[in-house]
Amino acid sequence: MTELLVGTRKGLVVLRGRRGGTFEMAARTFAGEVVEFATRDPRTGRYFAGVTHGQFGPHLFYADDPAGKWEQAEGPAFPPGAGAAVERIWAVQPGAGEDELWCGVAPAALFHSLDGGRSWSLVRALWDVPERVHWEGGAGGLCLHSICPWPADPNRLAVGISSAGVWLTDDGGKSWRRSVKGLVPRYLPEEARKDTHAYCVHNMHRAAGQPTTLYMQFHGGVYRSDDAGASWIDIGTDRGLPSDFGFPLAIDPSDPDRAFVIPLAADADRVTPGGRVCVYETRDRGATWNALANGLPQTQAYLTVLRQAFCRDSDTPLGLYFGAQSGEVFGSADGGASWSTVAARLPPVLSLRCG
Amino acid sequence: MPRMILTGSIRQHAGGHAAVAVGGETVRAAIAALEEAHPALRGWVVDERGALRRHVKLFHRGASVSLDAAVGPEEEVHVVAAISGG
Repeated sequence: MTELLVGTRKGLVVLRGRRGGTFEMAARTFAGEVVEFATRDPRTGRYFAGVTHGQFGPHLFYADDPAGKWEQAEGPAFPPGAGAAVERIWAVQPGAGEDELWCGVAPAALFHSLDGGRSWSLVRALWDVPERVHWEGGAGGLCLHSICPWPADPNRLAVGISSAGVWLTDDGGKSWRRSVKGLVPRYLPEEARKDTHAYCVHNMHRAAGQPTTLYMQFHGGVYRSDDAGASWIDIGTDRGLPSDFGFPLAIDPSDPDRAFVIPLAADADRVTPGGRVCVYETRDRGATWNALANGLPQTQAYLTVLRQAFCRDSDTPLGLYFGAQSGEVFGSADGGASWSTVAARLPPVLSLRCG
Repeated sequence: MPRMILTGSIRQHAGGHAAVAVGGETVRAAIAALEEAHPALRGWVVDERGALRRHVKLFHRGASVSLDAAVGPEEEVHVVAAISGG
């Protein structure tokens, strides 16, 4: 049984079904509210949902049964004196330590929980970096959306911020350094690139079995790091991708050489290129990319797949799932070789994670 | 004591109550008292800076008021979801 947590503009949809088979809607909760992100901590089985009420703001909830009662967490909320209020919850990520979780929000900030997600505190050192005064947001706002813990080492963490680059810590968040070596912000005039702070990271993941390897979808560019994020290598130019713009990204947890992106046409045209829906796969660390389209719409299909709306499971062969603003969810139970429509006519899909 | 009249969508965070008697001589103080009595409401009407949520309206004596408005001991303040959003 596979469970999918679909965050939509009108509630959280829980789909359950057999891999490669049909899926049924097991629950719909937070009806009418914007569920920006939902995930499950595989260590505890606890579910989390970042929910933005149209009038009453963003709040984080947790539950042991997504169809049951959800409890409101204490935070994330900025402390007095920070001069900010949480605008949107972008990501909840289990950490390396027991009962440790991280949460990324807009305006770009990181929150930390050491009690399994019941309560949250601001990671002050990242909030206070002097460079923050220069940070600006992209179309989605100034947000911290990617959180990459280091397996079994709570001190090491990489986060991605739009549009403020990659930030690394080796001491559990007490100190941070920016790491953008190799990234080229081609959206800026060449003469403006040298001193810019505007590094628009769209998505970043760490390879599960090889933590020095990270992949990144940039605002124009796909990159890989072989040195834990210290530097970045272009793997998006002239290697088989129809476009180097996009948001979704996934890595095979059992193969650090294998990653997936879903390119969009361009920053000015954020739909699947040419009206064809394709996932692109590399099996050689980005040296080449190949289209996976069997079973996906290939005519007049101009879909938008958002940053958090692509996920994989941990099975063999690998399961892959993504959702679109048009309300469809597509899935593959064979590593992308074939795809089927898992759900259709949902509200616009904002996030998708395997439960 | 002033009474806070809550719109339906946030009553669940006030134990299901539609009206809550609170202390305070201003709307801001009344909301603080409301949050004290029902901590699950923290962050819903005002954010962590104490600012009124952008799409929330407060009505007192039939008019939309700010957090600084004075409120008498027997008066009501309505917390209303603005007709915005989608």
